[in-house]
Amino acid sequence: MTTLARKAVDWLDERVGIREAFRENATEYRVPRNINVFYSLGTVLLVLFGLQFLTGILLLAHYVPHPDQAFDSVKRIVNEVPYGWLARNLHAVGSNLAIVVLLLHMLSVIFMGSYKKPRELTWLSGFILFNLGLALCLTGYLLPWSQLSFWATTVSTEAAGSVPVIGEYLVRIARGAPTVGGATLGRFFALHVVVLPLGLLAIIGAHLMLVRRIGISRPPFGKPGEVVKKGVHEDHPDGIPFFPNYVAEEIAVVSFVLAGLFAIAVFSPEVFIPADALEPADPFNTPAHIKPEWYFLWAYQTLKIMPTEFIGLAVQGAFMTFLALLPFVDRKAERHPFRRPLFLSLFVGIIALFIGISVWGHYS
Amino acid sequence: MADNRRRFLVAAIGTTGAALTALVGWPLLRTLTPDSGEGADAQVRVPRKDVPVGGAKFVQYKGKPAVVLQPEPGKFTALSAVCTHLGCIVKFKPEQGDFECPCHGGRFDTKGEVLAGPPPEPLATLAVAVDGDDIVVG
Repeated sequence: MTTLARKAVDWLDERVGIREAFRENATEYRVPRNINVFYSLGTVLLVLFGLQFLTGILLLAHYVPHPDQAFDSVKRIVNEVPYGWLARNLHAVGSNLAIVVLLLHMLSVIFMGSYKKPRELTWLSGFILFNLGLALCLTGYLLPWSQLSFWATTVSTEAAGSVPVIGEYLVRIARGAPTVGGATLGRFFALHVVVLPLGLLAIIGAHLMLVRRIGISRPPFGKPGEVVKKGVHEDHPDGIPFFPNYVAEEIAVVSFVLAGLFAIAVFSPEVFIPADALEPADPFNTPAHIKPEWYFLWAYQTLKIMPTEFIGLAVQGAFMTFLALLPFVDRKAERHPFRRPLFLSLFVGIIALFIGISVWGHYS
Repeated sequence: MADNRRRFLVAAIGTTGAALTALVGWPLLRTLTPDSGEGADAQVRVPRKDVPVGGAKFVQYKGKPAVVLQPEPGKFTALSAVCTHLGCIVKFKPEQGDFECPCHGGRFDTKGEVLAGPPPEPLATLAVAVDGDDIVVG
């Protein structure tokens, strides 16, 4: 370190104690020695959210949230703004990848029973983050004002209309008008660029605080290391150092995911930006076989197969409530999946059911 | 005495807080609640020549798409063009003489009745009258 840099660090250290903070949270912070690759998905998500913020700001500099100009402004970003196509593709593909990683993160936490006491609030904050991620995707989907955006939003907002008594009111609140239009674009834009990102940042902060305060859970597999408990906090004195050992592993996983993201964004963006996304919205002309994004297909198909849409919404609501309250429902201490046959059967069965319903929704 | 004072202060702060929340909350709610659209375009006039026999003319009525038809010479009807399944806009198929929803394949006849597909209800029928060279919807 050069003398100038050391002086700068000394200056900061005197005022905010960065050396001690780094020692406590990095070099002397130990993670369980049997930790596995799935524990790095949280860091992958932090990087993906960071990239969404960065590309979102770049898009925001050129995007115009008005029905007459939104589609053209996106076209201009892609075709005229230097590297605008890269920012747009990374943002669109990155949002899908973030949902994939969010799902993997949640599924691995469920599989390893990491949601259990004392990590109920960590789970709950993560569940809220997952929902905020979906809300960001839903609101961002409308912004390009393409045929796909317009009609997917029409269908998704219409679903709220099946709620008894206040359904019509909910649809109007969501759209800002009887049908999707400029008012919908305005409120979705405000939600997408201000309200939801602020909520996401706040809940990420709470989630990380809880992870650090309670300590990383020990995986139920492999040779268990020593655990020292101080109240609800768990220390792993014989674990591996977070920095540099575990950080190096996380960098490897992050690099792998980013390589995949860039490959799709550069070579095959059409996977997530289909042909209907290249046509401007036409409120009088519905394109054929409009479908929601892959992560909403299960909800869409559930609405279709239930006797009434309200029953479909009620089933979805009941399932999401069950998921949110999972640590309060499943309170036994055992975490190893192979010693929890009922849990394992449900875990595999529900995933298979979700994939099956989504594929059905895609081809129906 | 100190307890009374503390209770009074807590009650006063609580009441002021609730009043301020209502003061901010009500305008916020009103700002985000749109008009129902009922008053807008209470009546729509469509020139008769725009609606041929066996044809259809799409218009905006009370903020939502509607369609005016002339199934027989001189007889006009009007329907909401919003599919009762998930809110997509139906398309008129003149060769088949019916409506099709492109989203999920729902089909309706020219009276709005469901012929096939997932729509749970018929298309809403709208009032229509002839006034000189115009057709008046609503």
